[in-house]
Amino acid sequence: MSVTLEDGLRALRESAELARSIRIELDDEYLRRIAEVEAMPANQSGSDKTWVRELIDASERHLARAVQVR
Amino acid sequence: MDHFKALVQALGSQQVRFVVIGVWGANYYAPSGAATFRTEDRDLFLPPDPDNLVRAWRACEATGFDLRSDAEPLDVPRDRFLADRVVERRAAVRATNRQGLDVDLTLVMAGFDFETVWNERRTFQVEDVAVPVARLLHIVTSKHTAGRDKDRLFLATHKQALEDLLKKQQ
Repeated sequence: MSVTLEDGLRALRESAELARSIRIELDDEYLRRIAEVEAMPANQSGSDKTWVRELIDASERHLARAVQVR
Repeated sequence: MDHFKALVQALGSQQVRFVVIGVWGANYYAPSGAATFRTEDRDLFLPPDPDNLVRAWRACEATGFDLRSDAEPLDVPRDRFLADRVVERRAAVRATNRQGLDVDLTLVMAGFDFETVWNERRTFQVEDVAVPVARLLHIVTSKHTAGRDKDRLFLATHKQALEDLLKKQQ
């Protein structure tokens, strides 16, 4: 099955509609999770974050090599 | 070569005050790779200080980035006079290099003034470079305030990713 331009445009329209329908509140639960993450030892000033870029670079290289097989 | 790291290093050498915000800023706090997000650009929040802005532009140019505003090349000379106008308009300037890395220099972060974000920043290390990053709480709150489609999509995914990861750790 070939993917047409119209398929792509339809997917974009659907994504935009989905985004507009989403309502995320900064409720107590979300704020508590953020506080937990901020309090982690690995998230204090001076922590080494070299892995973040390396991981995302590796992910992008992987995606760049991906080909559609069906 | 990590072009973003080189830019951050140059900004530091020029004593530019800035913090990383946006999705890339949130990525630094990810408890694991499952909570990182791909993004097309990086956002740097700068104070409305013309001299600081001129130094930031110099750092961008020194590391091979072209500067644009409103999709047009940023005017020259890139001096204090121009920086005054940019600050006055709170205009965003985009730095782009030949490898396609886009870095937005913004003077606006929805819901926050620069000094608040600066005073509570974290400074992380990427190899030998110190990277000032806004608090995760500030990044998420700002995205909630901005409320654009892409912000809502990010918040939905981010909230779920944090919940899943932290539940696993408990």
